Amino acid sequence: MHALSKFFQPSSVVIIGATPKEGKVGRAILENFIKRFNGRIYPVNPGYDEVLGLKCYRSIKEIPETPDLGVIAIPAIQVPQALRELGEKGTKAVIIISGGFRETGTKEGEALEEELIKISREYGIRVIGPNCIGVYDNWSGVDTFFTQKMKKPPRGYVAFISQSGAFATALMDWMAYHGIGVSRAISYGNKIDVDDVDLLEYLGEDDKTRVVLMYIEGIKESRGRLFIETARRVSLKKPVVVYKAGKTSRGGRAAASHTAAMAGDYSVYRAAFKQAGLIEVDSFDEMMDVVRIFLDQPLMRGNRVYIVTDAGGVGVMLTDALTSAGFEVPVTPPDLREKLRSILPPHCIVDNPIDLTGDTDDERYIRVLEVLSQREDVDAIVVVALPQVPGIKGTFVDYIAKTKEETGKPVVALTIGSEASMETARRLQEKGVTVFESPERLAKSLKALRAYSSYIIKNRPGCSRIDA
Amino acid sequence: MTPREVIKKALEEGRVKLLEHEAFDIAKYYGIPTPNAILVKSPDEAYKYADEVGYPMAAKIVSPDITHKSDVGGVKLFIKNREEAYKAVEEIFRNVSQNAPGAKIAGVIVYKMAPPGLETIIGGIRDHVFGPTVMFGLGGIFVEVMRDVSFRVYPVTFEDALEMIDEIKSSRILNGYRGQPPVDKHALADIIVKTSKLLAENEEIESIDLNPVIAYPQGAVAVDVRIIVKQQG
Repeated sequence: MHALSKFFQPSSVVIIGATPKEGKVGRAILENFIKRFNGRIYPVNPGYDEVLGLKCYRSIKEIPETPDLGVIAIPAIQVPQALRELGEKGTKAVIIISGGFRETGTKEGEALEEELIKISREYGIRVIGPNCIGVYDNWSGVDTFFTQKMKKPPRGYVAFISQSGAFATALMDWMAYHGIGVSRAISYGNKIDVDDVDLLEYLGEDDKTRVVLMYIEGIKESRGRLFIETARRVSLKKPVVVYKAGKTSRGGRAAASHTAAMAGDYSVYRAAFKQAGLIEVDSFDEMMDVVRIFLDQPLMRGNRVYIVTDAGGVGVMLTDALTSAGFEVPVTPPDLREKLRSILPPHCIVDNPIDLTGDTDDERYIRVLEVLSQREDVDAIVVVALPQVPGIKGTFVDYIAKTKEETGKPVVALTIGSEASMETARRLQEKGVTVFESPERLAKSLKALRAYSSYIIKNRPGCSRIDA
Repeated sequence: MTPREVIKKALEEGRVKLLEHEAFDIAKYYGIPTPNAILVKSPDEAYKYADEVGYPMAAKIVSPDITHKSDVGGVKLFIKNREEAYKAVEEIFRNVSQNAPGAKIAGVIVYKMAPPGLETIIGGIRDHVFGPTVMFGLGGIFVEVMRDVSFRVYPVTFEDALEMIDEIKSSRILNGYRGQPPVDKHALADIIVKTSKLLAENEEIESIDLNPVIAYPQGAVAVDVRIIVKQQG
């Protein structure tokens, strides 16, 4: 069993600071567990005999078993004592939500944090936190994200490690809104013990996680080498997408005051990420685009992209964006040209982009995709499906999805517009076809897919699926 | 002397910047190509070793107390024979004793001047998170103005090194332009890998600058080597 598994799959949990008082962190956490956690829950609070219908314990000592997981949400000054009592009880995994430690920049805060480190070592307790929102596990129901206004994303396969709790919350909320499924999310705050390296290692072996997303401000000193080695190993199994905050010196200062971590020199981080096979993204848009493409698309084995469009202009925009990203948008070779000519009306353009023009119907898309899916010299297909043209009824959606499944090649789509466009996008996404609204973002994401595919093909020849 | 002995000596003498010949010795120990250089203590020694070193020859004062060597008349270039070598070293000693009286003098380093080629920079630092880290860039404005450099952290393979050479934005210059032949990327990559190893194996070294490393169609040579070791205490 992995050393961290008690954080994610405990059979019992003790919540220190559980309370019936509305608006309190201790209440929110207890409610989360009551709602979704199937194991045994032990609220601890000396002021109550019962909280939200559960028997409440006056002290940790009174609990009738050794809880697998401890959650601490009480004032900082009381935390060392609680941690020690958990140690005495034999609990080996503890999430400390409470703030008021090193991040305050005070001597008292620092001393309290040192004490926590000492106690955790003495009892061999693994600690996430302090000063964090902890763990959100969509499969086991462990959920210390006390930010209750956050929508909860559906169960799924994206794991998220974040140095920032607020960003983790916002991202979960966003993913819930967009229907992207999450496996587990962790925000580790001051990371006195469990850090990026440990979590990455755990998620690497986690079969519920197919894509790992990391938000990093700074890696602990002396952990750089291990981070690279771990990331390299995990990257061979599944894509690890990383966003490094604190790139500029201004941003660097902000990060340093945000938590007690020092954000290292960005150029060195960038090099290290590259050597570790990580996929680095530069913006929030790109982060989520890349995650979506990794979730849905197979490896991209070559550089040649074919575009099928009902809008000439968008085809040209895409050609520019794809070419700038380093892709080939090949001129249609003579045999393919002949074939396309034979199945399309004469006013359609059979060059790449293949332009079905504004009077197209679903049938034209289907016929062209049928031809393209037979070709060895096509590495990815981009379908532009602007729904404003009158002839499209939407039957091509199934066919686009089928093309992706049957060819085992990336098939992505682009639609721009209002409700009808959103509807097409939704239906395509549901069937695993990644949809973009902007040619540039599409190209950038496809580039990340291609880069990761090359990394896998080079280091794991014979591997065909991203999450294999 | 081994790198360890060189570093130990410098630290004992309270120096954090190694002297030129010491830095050359360490670079050479790791197989980094450097010019043929000898530290001479007198004009007579310069005369004696001049032919062995080769021409055109450069002579530079070596002193922990002098940073700007030309300002004190401590540099002579394009020396063509042993008689000139004798005179140059004699003159350097005289200039320095006048312009920097009391400066501690280790000697004068004489070395064969490298023929012109493409100037590149290879450097190394010890990053507080990732440890030994190497850098590559082109000399002059490319590094100073454009900040066009690439990095890799230890361990750096030969393949990594080639990749970082191609990663800089101005890498096409290395492939030859305006009739210039392409430079020897393998020789540069080899120096990068050795620099990385040098840093990894000598924990006391804080940073190293090979600036410039002159690259040719065949081979490359580190003409100047600066090594800074960790301050004690």
